[in-house]
Amino acid sequence: MATRLFRLFLTGGLLASGVVFSTLSHAQSNDVLIEPELKRDVVTEADINSNDFEFGVVAGFVSIEDFSSSAVYGLSVGYHVTENLFVEVQGGMAEAGKTSFENLSGGAPLLTEDERDYQFYDLSVGYNFNGEIFFTDGTTFNTDFFLTVGGGSTSFGGDNKFTLSLGAGYRVLVTDSIALRLDVRDRIFSSQLTGEKKDTHNLQYTLGATFFF
Amino acid sequence: MRLVWMVLALLISSVASATEVQVTVVEPYADMHTGPASEYPAFHAVERGEAITVMSSHTGWYKVRTARGVEGWIPGNALAKTILQDNKTFPIDDKNFDAFQQRLFEVSVFAGRIDNTNALSANAAWIITPNIAAEASLTQALGEFSENRLWLVRLQHTAFPDWRLSPYFTLGAGQIQTTPTATLVQSGAETRTNDLLEVGVGVRYYLIKQFSVRLEYKRLTALTERDAFEELNQWQLGFSVFF
Repeated sequence: MATRLFRLFLTGGLLASGVVFSTLSHAQSNDVLIEPELKRDVVTEADINSNDFEFGVVAGFVSIEDFSSSAVYGLSVGYHVTENLFVEVQGGMAEAGKTSFENLSGGAPLLTEDERDYQFYDLSVGYNFNGEIFFTDGTTFNTDFFLTVGGGSTSFGGDNKFTLSLGAGYRVLVTDSIALRLDVRDRIFSSQLTGEKKDTHNLQYTLGATFFF
Repeated sequence: MRLVWMVLALLISSVASATEVQVTVVEPYADMHTGPASEYPAFHAVERGEAITVMSSHTGWYKVRTARGVEGWIPGNALAKTILQDNKTFPIDDKNFDAFQQRLFEVSVFAGRIDNTNALSANAAWIITPNIAAEASLTQALGEFSENRLWLVRLQHTAFPDWRLSPYFTLGAGQIQTTPTATLVQSGAETRTNDLLEVGVGVRYYLIKQFSVRLEYKRLTALTERDAFEELNQWQLGFSVFF
């Protein structure tokens, strides 16, 4: 029974592929017959410069929980999908300071120099609330207030930690392709560097210049 | 730093080479907005027969300049109703479900869980036929006791590529690198790398423009040197952009 079914299936398959093949070859021969002598359109949409990608450099301060605040530098690359929605990767680094305990006790440091390197990346989805800012009657710039939510990784204290990243920011488009940005982000990861395990909030605010291309 | 300058130089050169295109309006009129979004106010209208210059685009909006030098933004669907100098319609590259079905490359990002750890993945796929795609992925899973990095290459079979919502199946292979956390390293644990096999199912849904969402479950088998294989369950939700 099984063999018969299998043979039926095989015959069916062969027939079907035969039909497909013959239609394909038929279609091909048709194509050859009516191939028109078209001149390629010179202009395509690709010729027009699109500004959907955003590349930026940012610098600012980060307050690493328990380890004081330090300067932070980073790069970002974003892609604007619709007039409201964008996705963005941001990466950056800072050097953590000392805890209050280390400063006051003057004892052995909690972390080595290498372990104080604070590096992160995160991938966020953002939503733009489009707007305008009026500096004078005649000077207007387009702006976006935006909210972001994302996830990523933070390397700190010798380990990589999964990090939730919540952000808000403001973008002023100086020209169509150059923007200034103010970003505030809370990067949340769990840590037990100071004893008990806890969720640490690492607030960072940065100023950035971005370039649309 | 040098890399940054190189990228900047590249960007500036790409802008310098931009082309402007002359078109003629064929609709009764089209509104010009002050910015590239429908929220921006319409401040000017171009009329039928008027020649306008298309300068640049941003997420489906086009910056245009009228003969009198007024600059503003019009949406792509308005530009689609203009004609070029040789009476041909302006070829707008519309990103819709048809374009999605003919896509060639796709980039995806995922967030999810591998057993009890949070995991993030980035994938790049080459769509070989409407049904079959080859995909490579990098995953970082950060747990309390270890950090896992996975790379996998896989073949993906989409059952019904012409449906907006379609299931798919995957088979893949790669490697997993497990690094114990600093506290465990002190007690003698070491980094190890194992081969990895993957079987997965998922669904994808075409959303809008270049976007689709994907939900996946994968059964990962790590070929360890111990007697038993290590089985991992991965769940993830992500979105894809196609080109």
